[in-house]
Amino acid sequence: MKVDVTFDSAAFSLDAVKTACYKFLDRFTPDIELCEGKIICHLSIDDKFSEAAVNANVDDLKKEVLDQDLRLKLKAETEPIRNLILAHAFSKTGLIADE
Amino acid sequence: MSDFRQIEFYKPNSHKYQLLPFRFTKLDDQSYVVTNLAGEFVVLPKELIPRLINHNLSDDNSFYVELRARHFLVDQSTAIARDLLAIKLRSRYDRLADFTSLHMFVVTLRCEHSCHYCQVSRKSADKLQFDMSLADADAALGLALRSPSPAIKIEFQGGEPLLNFGLIQHIVREAKRHGAGKRLAFVIATNLALVDREMLAFCYEHDINISTSLDGPRDLHNANRPRPGNDSYEKTIAGIRMAREFLGKDKVSALMTTTEASLDRIKDIVDEYVSQDFAVIFLRPLSPHGFAIKTKAYMRYNTDRWLDFYREGLEYIIALNKQGIALTEFYASTILAKMFTSRDPGFVDLMSPSGIGIAAVIYNYDGYVYASDESRMMAEVGDQHFQLGHVRHNSYGDIFLSPKLIEPLEDSFAYSNPMCHDCAFEPYCGADPVFHWALYKDHVGRKPESEFCRRNMAIFRHLITLMESDPFVRRLFLKWANKC
Repeated sequence: MKVDVTFDSAAFSLDAVKTACYKFLDRFTPDIELCEGKIICHLSIDDKFSEAAVNANVDDLKKEVLDQDLRLKLKAETEPIRNLILAHAFSKTGLIADE
Repeated sequence: MSDFRQIEFYKPNSHKYQLLPFRFTKLDDQSYVVTNLAGEFVVLPKELIPRLINHNLSDDNSFYVELRARHFLVDQSTAIARDLLAIKLRSRYDRLADFTSLHMFVVTLRCEHSCHYCQVSRKSADKLQFDMSLADADAALGLALRSPSPAIKIEFQGGEPLLNFGLIQHIVREAKRHGAGKRLAFVIATNLALVDREMLAFCYEHDINISTSLDGPRDLHNANRPRPGNDSYEKTIAGIRMAREFLGKDKVSALMTTTEASLDRIKDIVDEYVSQDFAVIFLRPLSPHGFAIKTKAYMRYNTDRWLDFYREGLEYIIALNKQGIALTEFYASTILAKMFTSRDPGFVDLMSPSGIGIAAVIYNYDGYVYASDESRMMAEVGDQHFQLGHVRHNSYGDIFLSPKLIEPLEDSFAYSNPMCHDCAFEPYCGADPVFHWALYKDHVGRKPESEFCRRNMAIFRHLITLMESDPFVRRLFLKWANKC
């Protein structure tokens, strides 16, 4: 069975879509295409899945893309704070080389 | 004359304050919880939130002074507020730089109990291949003492660690020999069935604490914890008495595990702890690790059912305290310490970044090092995701800079996670990558679907609601916070 799921590239990053698709490799094979501001995921799904199961997987993928997109954004935004706190945690271990 | 302020200074004013960073989350239909970076909190009526944010809160409003005192806003009379906030924030992270302070040694995987919910492998008592070797113990001790932490707690776990008491004695003596300059503490996590006077004399000599399991009254405890003779309860109670006789009452603590059979028995469980003269009880849910997943014990009740159990238990504990019976609930007191003090109690599940590896680490019976107790439980059912290395085959650097530790640690900053980032309860919460990995095969998990998030959010809300509605509870909780 083939299903297309489309994301607006102005709203979601390609990395988020790829990461989300990767998590679903056990459920479908994605073919990702960029086309006129859209990220289109052509999903090949085993025929053994019922229509309801396919719809549930597609819904799940959409949730995952939103989640991954926010993760990437927050990870980038908070990187300096994270690095500072981790450096503090390891500061007395002698495992961090002086730079 | 210039010593006196002009009359305008004392007139109510709005607009003339600056906001410091804060987050807010709905508590109920009428109110919001507002928290800042240091974990200070104020409960505000919901109509005050837009007024505060739009700088329309007048300084004669009853909440204004509280918000100023807790560093949510600064005005001309609070010049040092930013510095105080910074000091409190620094205090919260102070402990992190000490690095790993809790080192758990699984001295054997053997156990004579066969508890249904046991989260590690259960091996019969004669299989010596499940004991930690002397060489692995020495290497693990070397790693433990290599930690920069000035205070090292060594906890002996199993299986039933008393089945390999000789190794415990060796590790304690060697730790004292090589750990000069460190503040050493020792704990044996034991069911006490095998304890004897010689063991306790050694514990007394070396100031070793005992942490045992007590699941409730006789019938419940024995049903949860089968052993030959069906006398686990009798053995535990006799062991507790003997241990207290040797070591003193404060050196013996107990933990309970909530099974399906416990859910309707909360008052019986609490009464058992009171009748055994314990001052602390830890109402904890089953963890989704190891055999608890494999035997489906974890699936036998859901988060909502456990929360009902927890709320009922807390209500009963509060009622007992009102009658003059001092009993503290451990999980609540850990959270309350984060709410009311500037120090982090270092409870691994509620740390951000997570405490895996950097607050606690476990050396398994076979010499493999895991990021947490729960990680080795996962390993027992085949998931080595958090295996950091081996005590003899890997260096300190290999183990503590392993990508298997650094990656989940990076992912475990709640502040960097969707939903947690904006959550007012984030200063009290953790990210628990091991829990999320066990259930979702992802260090972060989607928070709206996360049982960890649902359980903790419900508890945070409940604790604050209880305090807001009853001044006695607020005073009691302040006491718990400062005891933790």
